[in-house]
Amino acid sequence: MEFTKKDLLKLYRNIVLAQAYDQFCIRMAMQGKLLSFYHSSAGGEAPGVGGTTFLRPDDIIYRHLRGHGVPHMIGKGASVREYLAEHCGKTTGCSKGLGGIHPSYPELGIFGTGATLGSQFPLSVGWGLGAKKKNKGQVVVIFTGDGTMGRGTWHEAANIAALWKLPVVYVCENNRIAQYVEFKDAYPFENMSRLPAAFGIPYEEVDGQDVIAVAKAVTSAVEKARKGEGPAFIECQTARFGPHGVGNPNKVGGKPRSEEEVAELKKRDAIEICRNRLLKDKVLTQKEVKRIDAEAAAEIADAEKFIDASPIQDDPAQLAPALYAP
Amino acid sequence: MREIQYNQAINEAYFEEMASDESVFIIGEGVQTSTFGTMTGLVDAYGPDRVIDTPISETAIAGAALGASMLGFRPIADLMFADFMFIAADEVLLESAQWHLLHGGKTSLPLVFVANMGGYRMLGNGHSQCPYSPMLHSPGLKVVTPSTPYDAKGLLKTAIRDNNPVFYLFHKGLLGLKGDVPEGDYAIPFGEAKIRREGSDVTVLAISLMNHMALEAAEDLKNEFSVEVIDPRTLEPFDLETVITSLKKTGRLVIVDEDTERCGFAGELTAQIVEHAFFELDAPIKRVCAKNYPIPANIIERHVLPQKEEIIAAIREICV
Repeated sequence: MEFTKKDLLKLYRNIVLAQAYDQFCIRMAMQGKLLSFYHSSAGGEAPGVGGTTFLRPDDIIYRHLRGHGVPHMIGKGASVREYLAEHCGKTTGCSKGLGGIHPSYPELGIFGTGATLGSQFPLSVGWGLGAKKKNKGQVVVIFTGDGTMGRGTWHEAANIAALWKLPVVYVCENNRIAQYVEFKDAYPFENMSRLPAAFGIPYEEVDGQDVIAVAKAVTSAVEKARKGEGPAFIECQTARFGPHGVGNPNKVGGKPRSEEEVAELKKRDAIEICRNRLLKDKVLTQKEVKRIDAEAAAEIADAEKFIDASPIQDDPAQLAPALYAP
Repeated sequence: MREIQYNQAINEAYFEEMASDESVFIIGEGVQTSTFGTMTGLVDAYGPDRVIDTPISETAIAGAALGASMLGFRPIADLMFADFMFIAADEVLLESAQWHLLHGGKTSLPLVFVANMGGYRMLGNGHSQCPYSPMLHSPGLKVVTPSTPYDAKGLLKTAIRDNNPVFYLFHKGLLGLKGDVPEGDYAIPFGEAKIRREGSDVTVLAISLMNHMALEAAEDLKNEFSVEVIDPRTLEPFDLETVITSLKKTGRLVIVDEDTERCGFAGELTAQIVEHAFFELDAPIKRVCAKNYPIPANIIERHVLPQKEEIIAAIREICV
């Protein structure tokens, strides 16, 4: 498929926003405003943005851990400021301040997340089954890190998704490091291709720093799933520039990550790659670059004002009515 | 005596036990780096064959430890967060806990599961629980909940040397707590509670981090009531005798347990006291536990997790 100029500008705008929000989140985490922990998306913005920007509002996603899924929420059109208000414990948050890091926008097919990595896979079967039964062409897009592919739940879900031809696209954001463990110490292979192959699930590997390539691959798999052709697996080779979480040591196997390797990774910044490509193709002008940066900065300023002005969720009377559905 | 932190005390126990027993090894996610500073440096001393980093595969981590324990090793499986135990519930609760009896006592399972537990960090339901209630509900598993650096080291050594599966739960709120810890070897027997503060009006039994909260409450109330504070240190085996001895003196009991109230340890202990020491009681037993809600994320978690003011209120209520 070919993207229009408008599509490409949307992708660029979204990835610029993802980076801006990530820097905002890091700042808020350091200030103690963003509660609990924060795992930066720096280096890994493209798969989330590219994999969601062209989905339908009723398509279902499970966001990835990096950036706490803000790149995915931006693509899906969710209100990021409401998610961050949630993350800051405010009553205006998307879960009324009860959910913290776990986003909830059921109207946009974002039904929350578990604390345990790998809980998205069994859920993907339920969402895929529900979408298939409803027969409205909804597709489920499940984002996962390379680390999470270590969970046995993937195999159970992939088998059933393939067997029942469920409309589920698995997008692996492979940054080759799971908290403190490198890919090479976690898997006896170089990429994930063998895992979907075992179940006959089509596999495609893309440059995960190229948001346009990601968007193309995911959109194409989503369209096939929409037509009833069953699940697909897209592996995005991406990067993690910083430590696992804010304040965590940037180590692997007990030793600091190689500075040369990280410097090498940083040469392939997804935002820069997209910008240079669109400038070269004359889709984007320097003037528009500035405008998009300014709009992102304005959105962040607006989000900060909204969050700061929102009251803290500290009302115990909220608990009882929230426990059971009426 | 030398003061070190709780997580350093745990670290020291690993160092010493791995030095003295080659059958001890550690397996888990990122254990070579160590998420909570409890395993720092072990890989440099004992190598990656004994400090084994794994993929994100809690079920396999727990199963690997269980399987290797049957072959004469003393594995330590790090599940990182106690909440993640549920991913390996089959291996932990149904197999490790129950196979010794189920196989006629022929196989011993000398393994240790370790994980941090507890709330007050605003991390939400999946990173904040104290899930020892299901562990205690699976007979065959010992459950250890150290509250001081001294106990953290001595109890971990006993856990590693025990010929049975032990779940060693350290509290994330205590990692940086400093306290006296002897250099070199000492082990603390399981099933021996510790009286942290002597008193005569009311007995407060409080687990792990809650013990510190109970001690603060006792201090706040020192001009009103003489509060005895007991730290059970291990929940299975449990030292009921120390509690009953204390009750003979005070006649009143408050149980402080960070786990969810319903069907929790506090309820179990209440039942045991009613069965075994009913006539020592001069007042109803009070439980101060996490309320019967999922632990929400953010600031509102404080309305679910036990607070010092609730301990004080419970003491006042039964001491009038």
